[in-house]
Amino acid sequence: MGTMVHTEPSLDERVAFLKKQAQQVRLHIVKMIHKAQSGHPGGSLSAADIMTALYFDILNVDPKNPKWPDRDRFVLSKGHACPVWYVCLALKGFFPVEELDTLRQFESRLQGHPVSTKTPGVDATTGSLGIGFAQAIGMALEGKWLKKSYKVYALLGDGEMQEGVVWEAAASANKYKLDNLVAIIDNNNLQNDGFTDRIMPIEPLDKKFEAFGWTTRRIDGHNMEQVLSTLREAKVHRGTPFCIIAQTVKGKGVSFMENVRGWHGKPPSDQELAQAIKEIEGGLK
Amino acid sequence: MSVGNMKRTGGTEMINPKEKIQLRKTDSPTRKSFSERMVEYGQIDKEFVVFESDIGYSTYSYLFGDKYPDRYFNMGIAELGTMAAAAGMAADGRTVIVSGYGVFLTMRAVEVVRSFICYPHLNVKILSSHGGLTAAIDGVTHQATEDIAYMSTLPDMKVLAPCDTYSARAAFDIAVKTPGPVFTRLMRDPLWDIYTEKDTFVLGGSHVVREGKDITLVSYGDIVFQALEAAEVLAKEGIDAEVIDMYSVKPFDKDTLLESARRTKAVLVAENHQKRNGLGYEIGTFLLKNYPWEKMGQKPLKFDHLGLEDTFGESGNYFKVIDKYGISGRAIAEAARRLLKGSDR
Ligand SMILES: Cc1ncc(C[n+]2csc(CCOP(=O)(O)OP(=O)(O)O)c2C)c(N)n1
Ligand SMILES: [Mg+2]
Repeated sequence: MGTMVHTEPSLDERVAFLKKQAQQVRLHIVKMIHKAQSGHPGGSLSAADIMTALYFDILNVDPKNPKWPDRDRFVLSKGHACPVWYVCLALKGFFPVEELDTLRQFESRLQGHPVSTKTPGVDATTGSLGIGFAQAIGMALEGKWLKKSYKVYALLGDGEMQEGVVWEAAASANKYKLDNLVAIIDNNNLQNDGFTDRIMPIEPLDKKFEAFGWTTRRIDGHNMEQVLSTLREAKVHRGTPFCIIAQTVKGKGVSFMENVRGWHGKPPSDQELAQAIKEIEGGLK
Repeated sequence: MSVGNMKRTGGTEMINPKEKIQLRKTDSPTRKSFSERMVEYGQIDKEFVVFESDIGYSTYSYLFGDKYPDRYFNMGIAELGTMAAAAGMAADGRTVIVSGYGVFLTMRAVEVVRSFICYPHLNVKILSSHGGLTAAIDGVTHQATEDIAYMSTLPDMKVLAPCDTYSARAAFDIAVKTPGPVFTRLMRDPLWDIYTEKDTFVLGGSHVVREGKDITLVSYGDIVFQALEAAEVLAKEGIDAEVIDMYSVKPFDKDTLLESARRTKAVLVAENHQKRNGLGYEIGTFLLKNYPWEKMGQKPLKFDHLGLEDTFGESGNYFKVIDKYGISGRAIAEAARRLLKGSDR
């Protein structure tokens, strides 16, 4: 929590570690969704690199004290991708890694969509698209109100950007100069029914957010160096809310899931899991 | 599984009375059956259109979109705006189907449904999937456990809750043929079929799917199967339960209910919904007012109601979840026993 004395690893070392860690995260994602035979692999895998960077470099959180008042807040506004979040929380030490096997099961703490009262480390209940981001506005306002220095990070889907409430939230972040707020858009160009640019175009996101008074960056959401350096920039940014548009591939890391609509909310079969594990482990070497 | 004798009332006709009613496992959820009928009906009526908000592959409305791309509007993940756009397109009388999940359509967009669809009496028909705890595995944000309350409270709104393939198909026809707004509650997961294409369904109708003399179990949607299961269990104990499928929740079939209640002198409503402001509240109030209390002797009527007890649901296996929240066959049988034994009710 900043009090420990240690020598900072170089950026290259950090990136190398996070890349490996992201593949571990992917491994757990496919395994737990297979075990549950239910859940959303596509949007979990597209966010794996961003989430890994957040949890293992950026966020100031304490697994021993999940409700620590000074912690950074994280809101998974695209709540259906909670497998990636649960994995990061488990690997970070918020709860035992074995618990990942209980995803979506009866009386599990790991509900089908994130629930703040059930899972340690989950600050906001989400699953209804758009609402998480609007809650993040309130968390940022609370931080300002209390003169706290924590930041609020929210991860959104590109399809989610179609919800009107997202734009209500974006406008209020400008009015209240919420420079303690960072929005990250997992811009994988897929949603439930197809390609986002065909279902309901949302681009140009950078121009839109700039018009709403935000500072924006467009990055490759699977290039760990870019992900890390941009998140580090966002962490210290002052003056405006900060929006990162991360170009991603839905299902990233498992070839047959990549950029395929059908893998939005479908679990892998035994055979598909074996194939997925092989590919991800290949990427680990 | 056989579930006793079946008599059909349901408005005007009695068709095809069968000896035994069989629960037949199906792999088609009601959301799919409804959409399939919608596609067929697209040939019969070429004027209606369908609005979707990016879950067409889940509600199966995509089947309509594939066949009639120019009559299918996928508005993206924007339920509130979609509902308002549907109102706009329906303003001159056109029938507009709005497809989606119950929580988002009935809760996020409820004001639009109220003030701009019901109030102006527009022909907007809501195809609402993931009713009650049938979306068990997805968790609370996807479980529409208050949809019936919201929708049946709105003036002018009609509410249907079919339980199987055939009643879901019929619900589509009722919806498009009934003037004004109609809400149809559908289920996420496939369960069983009990009807056939020969059965008829009408607005304000019901089906007595099992005849009995000791207690009347009233239900709709997926819980009809649980009530039938409870009736089987009770039969082994010598309790003869009648089961009514109240597929038309608003308006509901008051005549059939009253007639059955007079015979059995015990009514137990079970629903996959909050107890508060569900069908059970409606029926309880109705019976208080309309039951011939003075004429029914010493123990005129026993009444109880099962549903979510002022609580949210949770993720998990559907059968485990409905059992925990007290609306499984086991829970219904237990409540029926309690009701018939208790002298204090
Ligand atoms: C308000 C709301 N409407 C609909 C849904 C159903 N739904 C879940 S995920 C999804 C598609 C999301 O697409 P996107 O935001 O691009 O997420 P990703 O591609 O990262 O999975 C939809 C429509 C929902 N969860 N909430
Ligand atoms: Mg997407």
